[in-house]
Amino acid sequence: MGIQEQYRNEAASLLSSGEVKLVIGFGAGSTADRRRPLFACTAAEAEQFVLDSACIANLSAYLVTEGLLTDGKKVAVYLKPDGLRSINILIAEAQLKPEQVVILGYAIENGEVKPLTGRSIGDFTDLGDRIRATTPPPAVVQEAERIDAMSSDERFAFWKEQFSKCIKCYACRQVCPMCYCRRCIVDVNQPQWISTSSHTLGNFEWNLVRAFHLAGRCAACGACDRACPVNIPLRLINYRMGKEVRDAFDYCAGENSGQKPVLASYSQDDSETFIL
Amino acid sequence: MTRILLKSRLDDCLASWQSAGFSVLAPVQRHEMSTFGEVQKASDISLDLVLTERTIKDHFFPQTEPLIRYKIGRQQIDSVTMTPPERKRVFFGVRPCDASGLAIDDPLFGWDYKDDYWFRRRENSVIITIACTQADDFCMCTSVKLSPDSTKGADVMLRPLANGSGWQVETISERGKALLDTVSSLIQEESSETAPPPEVAEKFDVGKVMEWLADKKNFESQFWKDIALRCVGCGSCTFLCPTCHCFDIQDEGDTYQGIRRKNWDSCSFALFTMHTSGHNPRNTQSTRWRQRIMHKFNYYQGKFGVNSCSGCGRCTRQCPVDMGITETLQAITNLPR
Amino acid sequence: MIYSPFPMRVVSKRAEAPGVNTLKLEFVKQEDHEFFKANFKTGMFGLYGIFGEGESTFCVASPETRKDYIECTFRQSGRVTSTLANTDTGDIVTFRGPYGNRFPIEEFEGRNLLFIAGGIALPPTRSVIWSCLDQREKYRDVTIVYGARTVADLVYKHELDEWKKRDDVRLVLTVDPGGETPDWQDHVGFVPTVLEQAAPSPENTIAVLCGPPIMIKFTLAALQKLGFTPENVYTTLENRMKCGVGKCGRCNVGSVYICKEGPVFTAAEVQAMPQADL
Repeated sequence: MGIQEQYRNEAASLLSSGEVKLVIGFGAGSTADRRRPLFACTAAEAEQFVLDSACIANLSAYLVTEGLLTDGKKVAVYLKPDGLRSINILIAEAQLKPEQVVILGYAIENGEVKPLTGRSIGDFTDLGDRIRATTPPPAVVQEAERIDAMSSDERFAFWKEQFSKCIKCYACRQVCPMCYCRRCIVDVNQPQWISTSSHTLGNFEWNLVRAFHLAGRCAACGACDRACPVNIPLRLINYRMGKEVRDAFDYCAGENSGQKPVLASYSQDDSETFIL
Repeated sequence: MTRILLKSRLDDCLASWQSAGFSVLAPVQRHEMSTFGEVQKASDISLDLVLTERTIKDHFFPQTEPLIRYKIGRQQIDSVTMTPPERKRVFFGVRPCDASGLAIDDPLFGWDYKDDYWFRRRENSVIITIACTQADDFCMCTSVKLSPDSTKGADVMLRPLANGSGWQVETISERGKALLDTVSSLIQEESSETAPPPEVAEKFDVGKVMEWLADKKNFESQFWKDIALRCVGCGSCTFLCPTCHCFDIQDEGDTYQGIRRKNWDSCSFALFTMHTSGHNPRNTQSTRWRQRIMHKFNYYQGKFGVNSCSGCGRCTRQCPVDMGITETLQAITNLPR
Repeated sequence: MIYSPFPMRVVSKRAEAPGVNTLKLEFVKQEDHEFFKANFKTGMFGLYGIFGEGESTFCVASPETRKDYIECTFRQSGRVTSTLANTDTGDIVTFRGPYGNRFPIEEFEGRNLLFIAGGIALPPTRSVIWSCLDQREKYRDVTIVYGARTVADLVYKHELDEWKKRDDVRLVLTVDPGGETPDWQDHVGFVPTVLEQAAPSPENTIAVLCGPPIMIKFTLAALQKLGFTPENVYTTLENRMKCGVGKCGRCNVGSVYICKEGPVFTAAEVQAMPQADL
């Protein structure tokens, strides 16, 4: 029995036993190569779940939907390692209770989907090693190095060009599990910290603020990059911020749910002499 | 007798229009994105795209538009109304769906109060539509009773010739005629077979959809909750739609001066209808999705006699979670009655 | 040009209730004043603003019989209203309007009028009240039922005294249970209850009702019990607005745009709207 079938049965059984009220997984998309998030509340609905190498979205973002988990019930969700990282980060930031999430874990390796053993987030004890061992896609590394090698002016010109496309649709924010603020900083109007306009300043403000708010918290799932309808290479920014945090603090977000947030924690024996 | 414009004469055409004071905008690839941008010569133009990722709406209703420049003093204010640029423009190679998008929005921007930010741009622009010869899986113009060779919204209609050497030329409006008159020497009276438009199968029954939406008891149907589960509430579909027109007005500046701007906004955003008191009539994604569909296929139809959708399919093409209008309208078409 | 506001000078500011102020505004430019005089009818609203902060929507609280100034009454609740509340006499603010539809007061002529309002919803009602009282001979009996949470929350207190003294107006004032002061002389009780006790006759009567949604719901029920039909009850709706002219796409309740086809509706028209969109 393939993993698709296996997980369909698992999902159906979780629903019919009442252990979970909802399973979030993947369904067929509007074209042959697309997959879409699918929500099942009954065993019959679980028949629609698919699982193959095209199932790359990070579904953990749905877990922070307002009101979803306030009833204390459980939700099951199909997750890859980047999704597991997201869960760890959300738990560390007190946005999720580990016991409310049942995991149907899988990894895509060389175009094949393999199951990951574990039902709750605490079972994935090797996640930290896996994260540290994962190499980012060579294309991303190369492009990041190319930009690093630019002069400051060239780099600014590059990003000015890329951000000029930004239309403030906030797709990057909406698909990101870590962007769960009930009122995003851009929606605050007393004062209006971040401009909502898509001029150079407004676009820089938004994209840079989001990059900084994600530094040390990003699970590197790539959802923002894929979601951007104007093809801004957000993967480069988040990769680079992640690398900076790893180099400076030897820290990878989401290795386990006990990790303290790297930029939001203070300890007495901090190597810096000031809080910044 | 039909007229044709050969591709080999396109450079001369552009040069002629440019020397007559027009900027020419056409499909281009800019920074890994296809959009309408200013071109100098024919080779700058991407003629082989099904359609551009961004719409020409950007050039009539920009994402951010300055309205008023103001200086603040308590007992005195200076303000200057900012008006849109009055540049003359030719839009070459517009797809029928994008051109019809402009025509669909005209009645809204002219509804009792004339929005000159829109109309001054409209009056200074000539739309040259090129009929489609290809479509992709997301196109649905025929489902909304338009077509790959619709002339709606066009000032000039070009139909690609079967032999690929150019286009058959048809004047649609006075404005189009005036523009073609400036290049009449470049247009030949000749018959040539045109390439057939692509087959775009209808994906939903828009009549059935409108009937279902018009039935008041369906407003609170469970259908809305079920269909909108995966919508994440971003503005991709709204901002890439040729007909979506919702906006916000914001003041930006410092203590002394600033600019009041009109910026794109989306009914999908959670805070779109939020009252200062905290009450939000549409406080769930499903109610916001319902608003989108009802507005496009019921309210707009009721007020202006046309659906607010040109069938371009960008909503689904670009949606990060594969949603969009097509799936919802297919589901409504297939609901048991 | 569309979206360009009129500059207005603050002539006076009056504190009505905790957090609630009335601004009296005068036109800076003659042509703007002429436009207003030619177009304003009671029921219409405007977007009041301050450059640098934004605009906020409220009714024009002054009547169509007095068009040399604009009065607006609002509660301090967000960015724009807070700044407006802090203006001083002589400051310049902006007004965009008048927009929307109107109370068809010529259709009220020869009939009895029943005005019902709750709390901060007296301002829109007050515009109609004065438009009628300034032409008193055209209307029959005038009854005003007004209530607020507490005595301090009653707005237009000096006008309430004026109306009380008139013998051609019946004024019924109430505060919610617990909102009365030791020297409170009038009713104690929620508006719908007090209305039922006052028992105005529906015979040849038009009701104008403004208030928060919950009060409207119960008051409509009380009016129907008293024999009023929804076609003879007028009310106002409000929604978040930005453009005020039907283009920004946000103020609709179902297919009805509050800024263009409202804010004045009969109760029958409100009942025909999708209630889930309110």
